[in-house]
Amino acid sequence: MSNVANISGVTDQSREQADLMLAMARRDKSALSRLYDALSRPLYSLALKVTNDSAEAQDIVQDVFLQLWQKAADYTPARGSVFSWAATLTQNRAIDRIRMRRRRAEIITESGSEIHGGVTGAEAATAAESLGMQEQATAVRAALGGLAPEQRSAIELAFFSGLTQQEIAARLNEPLGTIKARIRRGLLKLRDSLSLRS
Amino acid sequence: MITEQHEELASLHALGLLEGAERVSFERALAGHAELAALVNSLVETSAAFALVAPQVEPPAALKARLLAAASATVQSESAGSNVVSFPLFRWLPLAAAAAFALTALWLGSKNFALQQENLSLRTEKELADIAYQTAQGQLKERSFVAESMINDLGRQLREQSDLTHLKVTALASLAGNTQEARAIAVWDPVRETGLLTVEKLPAIADNQDYQIWVVDPAYPIPVDGGVFKPDAAGKAVLTFKGDKPIKTVAAFAISLEKKGGVPKAEGPIVLLGK
Repeated sequence: MSNVANISGVTDQSREQADLMLAMARRDKSALSRLYDALSRPLYSLALKVTNDSAEAQDIVQDVFLQLWQKAADYTPARGSVFSWAATLTQNRAIDRIRMRRRRAEIITESGSEIHGGVTGAEAATAAESLGMQEQATAVRAALGGLAPEQRSAIELAFFSGLTQQEIAARLNEPLGTIKARIRRGLLKLRDSLSLRS
Repeated sequence: MITEQHEELASLHALGLLEGAERVSFERALAGHAELAALVNSLVETSAAFALVAPQVEPPAALKARLLAAASATVQSESAGSNVVSFPLFRWLPLAAAAAFALTALWLGSKNFALQQENLSLRTEKELADIAYQTAQGQLKERSFVAESMINDLGRQLREQSDLTHLKVTALASLAGNTQEARAIAVWDPVRETGLLTVEKLPAIADNQDYQIWVVDPAYPIPVDGGVFKPDAAGKAVLTFKGDKPIKTVAAFAISLEKKGGVPKAEGPIVLLGK
């Protein structure tokens, strides 16, 4: 089991976060506080990476934690780890924001929103410098490094830019089928590298 | 058995790339396919790990305090019950009845219309005005015989009280991912230049935030401020509103999420919009 599995798989840490969700369902605010301490940094970093806007990233993180707080009773470990649930919520909200920003820009004929590129080497080098997640981040970066560049760029565009399948294909100047195949092969390889098989 | 196509769809789903009918169809297939669901779960876990390769930035310390305050407010609202904004009932009875009539139609229509609403989500990337128009029109088409008779009966009662033909009744549609269940009806009286807004299922917001309603009048270059409000724990609110400028023609209503007390010009995300 890789280091990444320590935050995403069935581990002590993920069990502890599941226990915090149970306590939050009983309206224990200290549990919310502890879950925030554990997850706020990677979630905020993700939201900031996608939106490139600190105020929006803060809104998204607050919104996600409030949803976890309000829906804590609905959580079951069978749905996956708390971290993956929270990260998925964060990514969805961040992408909704930048898509809404684009639509608004189209309507008022202002300039469109900027699409951010993939994770650069310099950015990756600064990733997860504290909070005890260096090892996990290192493992993810190593797994990403094992992907073919074209697989990596397709997956990064999908995750961080909010582009649709068709937009990714247009951006990379490849047929849609090719993009789908790259994403499939790349994500499966990442999963295997991170020992996250079902 | 997992096929290559399953793997492809599961990968796209894990990255949020499935949209519209393709997404609905895949989620339906997931419900009865344990092996496929397990594959999706493993790929969602994989994609979630991407959060760790974004450049790590510490959130501002104030954010935690804001979050805990908002959570406390939620608990207090749950125990305190409804916190609906008060308004003069008798004076606004016709407007309130009209809003209730429209909400009833929406609720009954939505029973059979949930799937189409799913397809009308933000990910369809259609223009804002089209979403609002299609949602309202679709819901009206789907209303049941019972709803129609209720509407006719209510309408007859309303006509006996006053002539409502001059009122503009608008259903506002969701524009943000976390407000897809939200319902809002704005009723505008052009004679009094006053409106009544009724909302349900709006997401909770922090203490330092307010929802703000805007009236789009073509006479002005930017939407006219109609005031701020905060829904109760169930996401409900009812309020009367006026523009901060004289309003001659109402082209649309919009609701945005702003800092507490509101802003003179919309800055935050528009969460609901209707023509």
